[in-house]
Amino acid sequence: MALQILNAGQEPEDVVAKLRGNIEAAIEGADVTVTAAGPGHFEIRVVSSAFENLNRVKQQQLVYAAITDLMSGQNAPVHAIDRMECITP
Amino acid sequence: MSLDEGLRTRLDDLIASHDVTLFMKGNRQQPQCGFSNTVVSILDTLIPDYQTVDVLSDQDVREGIKAYSSWPTIPQLYVRGEFIGGCDIIQELFQSGELAETLGVEILDVADPIIAISDAAASQLRTAVEQQGGPGRDLHLAVDARFQANLFIGPVDGSEIVVESNGITLRMDRASAARGNGIEMDVVDTPQGPGFKIQNPNAPQVVQLSVEELKTLIDSGESFEFMDVRTEEERATAKLPNTTIMTDAQAERLSALPKDTKLVFHCHHGGRSQQAADHFAAQGFTNVHNVEGGIDAWSQRIDPNVPRY
Repeated sequence: MALQILNAGQEPEDVVAKLRGNIEAAIEGADVTVTAAGPGHFEIRVVSSAFENLNRVKQQQLVYAAITDLMSGQNAPVHAIDRMECITP
Repeated sequence: MSLDEGLRTRLDDLIASHDVTLFMKGNRQQPQCGFSNTVVSILDTLIPDYQTVDVLSDQDVREGIKAYSSWPTIPQLYVRGEFIGGCDIIQELFQSGELAETLGVEILDVADPIIAISDAAASQLRTAVEQQGGPGRDLHLAVDARFQANLFIGPVDGSEIVVESNGITLRMDRASAARGNGIEMDVVDTPQGPGFKIQNPNAPQVVQLSVEELKTLIDSGESFEFMDVRTEEERATAKLPNTTIMTDAQAERLSALPKDTKLVFHCHHGGRSQQAADHFAAQGFTNVHNVEGGIDAWSQRIDPNVPRY
């Protein structure tokens, strides 16, 4: 329950919007879907041609690089990405 | 989070200092998180030596490594400077055989294991599969690095080795198959009702040593590695002569010794030392002993001058 109290300041919808905004800014033309999956937990689906010829780790690193600031530190609004799909159109 | 140059250089140096480096919670002997433990179990089955970095003991490294790799979770595996992935990806690469390739080890050529299932066990398993199985789900038998067997019904990924026995189909991953040849399964009555009894002839045996036997061993003058897995504080209170405190460096030293080296582990009551003994037995050491009852039994039955606490 501590997690919920820590994150009480941030509404999940705000965090969803921030996640989506960060990813869209970092990966041009990406089609981004973010879903809240519980307090501090989210699921992300990104469709982008930037993923072409990249292995899964490299694809996910692209996305994670865009959202690290939301996942760092003690009071990070994002605790974990429960599921990340990187899809090439 | 941005990564300052000093920390980046430190991480570069850490990763460059060994072919294989695992950033994890805890260490190889005592992982402090399930994901880290999973990766350690996988690496232990593939390679004898690798470096671990405990992120719990260094907050800078814990946050820094996430920015370094653009990867937000621990554990993280690096091979020859390259980031390989976290727990999920390592499990997948292990199953597919790619991890062994990356690590440059020969892929285990696993013969189909022979598993014996009694009629009673087969009938129980058949019922379980009928009730809980379904499309894409089947019965699995996993054997972990400690040789503990686990039966479960779960998703089929197609990479498993399929074993037929007494009309039952079992799926085993490669590592489990390598550890599970010759398993015998039966049903026994327990106070909680009938349960599966799984005997694995490959499980390494840790020999329990009573404090009397330990005394005889010490008096014989035979040489052996006598390891104390307790903390510095406990050792300040009471300790046995000629014992070495277990540290990461000591664990590395032991790991490099011939596998028939006599290893004796003790702690306060015998619990922690059993874990350490199991760990080395699982690494293939064949002459591993745990002091039953620990230093407390020694104080009570051999030498009352060793303080109890």
